[in-house]
Amino acid sequence: MDTTFTLLAGSLRRLVAELRDALDSCAERQRQLERSLRVSRRLLRAWEPAETLAPEPTPGPETNEEAQSAACIPSPQDLKELELLTQALEKAVRVRKGISKAGEGNKAPSLKSGSIVTSPATRASAPPRTSHRAGSRASETKPPRGIRQTRVPTKDLPECRLLSVGDQACMGQGAGDTKPKSGLRNEQIVLSAASQAPEAFTLKDKGILLQLPEAFRKAASRNSRLWAQLSSTQTSDSVDAATTAKMQFLQKMQTTSGWPGPRLSATEVEAEVRHLQKACLLLRLRMGEELMADPQDWMQEYRCLLTLEELQAIVGQCLHRLRELCTVPRSCRPWRPSGCGWPCCTSRSTWKRS
Amino acid sequence: MGRRRRRRRVDPADAARALPEAIAALSQTLPAGPSPETFRRAKFDRPEAAPALWRLLFRVLSPQLADGASASFSPEAQVRSVKLALRTQGYPRRALAQLPDDGSQGGRELLLALAWLLARGPLPERLLTQNRVQLGDEMPVCECEALASPGPPAPSVEADGCVDIRHLQWLMGKLRFRWRNLMASQQEQCALLGKIHSYTRGCHSDRSLGHLSVTETELLRDPEGGRQLLQRLERENARLQAALEWRRRELVFWRWMDTVLGACPPEASQPTFLPRIPTPGTGALEPLVRELQALQGELREAVEARRAAWEAGVGGRGPEWSAARTALREAVGQDLAALRQACEQGGSCSLAQPHGPHRLVRTEAGVAGGPGLRAPEVIEALRSQEARLEVVLRQLQGQCRQELARLVGAPPGPVWILPPGR
Repeated sequence: MDTTFTLLAGSLRRLVAELRDALDSCAERQRQLERSLRVSRRLLRAWEPAETLAPEPTPGPETNEEAQSAACIPSPQDLKELELLTQALEKAVRVRKGISKAGEGNKAPSLKSGSIVTSPATRASAPPRTSHRAGSRASETKPPRGIRQTRVPTKDLPECRLLSVGDQACMGQGAGDTKPKSGLRNEQIVLSAASQAPEAFTLKDKGILLQLPEAFRKAASRNSRLWAQLSSTQTSDSVDAATTAKMQFLQKMQTTSGWPGPRLSATEVEAEVRHLQKACLLLRLRMGEELMADPQDWMQEYRCLLTLEELQAIVGQCLHRLRELCTVPRSCRPWRPSGCGWPCCTSRSTWKRS
Repeated sequence: MGRRRRRRRVDPADAARALPEAIAALSQTLPAGPSPETFRRAKFDRPEAAPALWRLLFRVLSPQLADGASASFSPEAQVRSVKLALRTQGYPRRALAQLPDDGSQGGRELLLALAWLLARGPLPERLLTQNRVQLGDEMPVCECEALASPGPPAPSVEADGCVDIRHLQWLMGKLRFRWRNLMASQQEQCALLGKIHSYTRGCHSDRSLGHLSVTETELLRDPEGGRQLLQRLERENARLQAALEWRRRELVFWRWMDTVLGACPPEASQPTFLPRIPTPGTGALEPLVRELQALQGELREAVEARRAAWEAGVGGRGPEWSAARTALREAVGQDLAALRQACEQGGSCSLAQPHGPHRLVRTEAGVAGGPGLRAPEVIEALRSQEARLEVVLRQLQGQCRQELARLVGAPPGPVWILPPGR
């Protein structure tokens, strides 16, 4: 009985250790979540205009003019004219879209670009956007649509784009345009313009006006390009030669050292042992299931037999692996970018609204 | 870099430059990398090279430390930490363990240690991955990383060997409470992410993403933070570039390392006084071998018995039998595929998709998404994994009950075990 109690006591202590460990990692995760939540909540509130005082002059010849005119506050006269112009443009787009999407049915309400969606249309700080882009987004009532479809109108109306560049110069607009050469603004212009208004910037109303700064975009695209290059498996002569050289070096290190040392590192052995312990458990459980099953016909009986044989084979393989652990030296494995320690840097998870 | 095409053979000046350039690339991609001159001095075991290399190894072997945190470790502490980490990883040379703790000597030995680490695995890539600048909203799709961590340290023997069952209950209740809070916070985070993603749709320069992430929106809200993020990004780009350079040039480094190894005096073949670090894994190895062998024996018995019964039985003859047999074999193979995978793979994750955190991207219904995982599929895979784990849990609980009953000496009847709850 004594040994039983010590066994149980040992298990209990391990259990307590596991529970404490779980509590700690829960707390850590909670802290991380709280940090993210704070950031997200702050983003969804009104943004402090004080932080966006001095817009940085964006480098590049195409933005020089715009930088100079950034200081100008558009006069109400200009705004009114712009509004009228924009409405006219929207009408034109509506007509064109009406023709072009005759076959599309009713599934693209946003492409109608009917009303000027940003409701503060009369506000000095957030003038209505050029129609072909404005109509497609930011509406809370219309279902959001894919971005690709909205690019069609831009091609149809080149003259609108010129104007949009011009009016952006003064209004500090711009969002969602992929072509950097159109000289879209630093978003800080948007925010400083916005701060003139009585209402502060909220993501809900004007989120679509945002645009990432040029420098950041360049750095980010370079970053993803470099990661892709680094993780692509290169099989060139130089790579193979380097791999061979590395293996030879390792072997030489092993043979010239005075102490044989463990073949695999302690952590690796531990991990492998834990894994095989779990495997053993799963196999035993499955065996138990099969042994308790009561075959009704010969097919089930044969199936049971086959399953047990398969389990036997798997157990044999596990034993083989275990024996290898003790004897086979570690080899220089080629780098596999999609293993567990290397998050797949170019993949993204998508979530669809069903 | 400057290849002179008018000569067919490699210019000796280029060849002479190749090594320092390779080392420079290596230095740039590693954190706290010393200059090529330091490496050269280390080959000749010059003492001034040692401190820089100790620092480098410390940074490389403990990447979880932030950039400034390593300064809080004294040089002696760094030296001891490096020695321990190398021995845990199985570093073969004794000479390193014999170096003095003040970090004043051992340039050549440290150089060999660094080369050993570089040869065993893609060290620069791993370091870069661990400290990667996250631009998107990262979401884990599997629990591999969490499960791969070593777990709690073995509990020390306590003075009183008894653990109060109520303490266990209390810990369990506390854990459940924290789980519930975590779930609620996670749901709130997802809701907020959804809003932010939908409010910024169309803003991203990368069309396949379509909307901004929290990090990107935050950098717009807070330009100072945005500048810092940009700086980090640019530093990472420089290191990535250097890593690619290194990959191109590393061959000349390995040839040089051969000469370094040759310059070392040969070590005595008998280890004298150095105690081996007890490898915890090997302790559990023997019992595991016995367990597997026992399992194998039981299976063999069961298979033999059933095979005999089958041969003696009436069923399964005739021409349609072979077709049925193939079909059954296939069915069994598929049935056990998941189990086989779980046993063979190095990890416990049964998801067939790429592991690690993924960037969360919202796409509109009806639009074909880009590369990457689809959330419904991931959810489905996770649910089936959850179902499997539930089954295993119930079986284990049943086993525990039986074991307890056996220990207590009672027949396996109603043993009062506290409900685990849901």
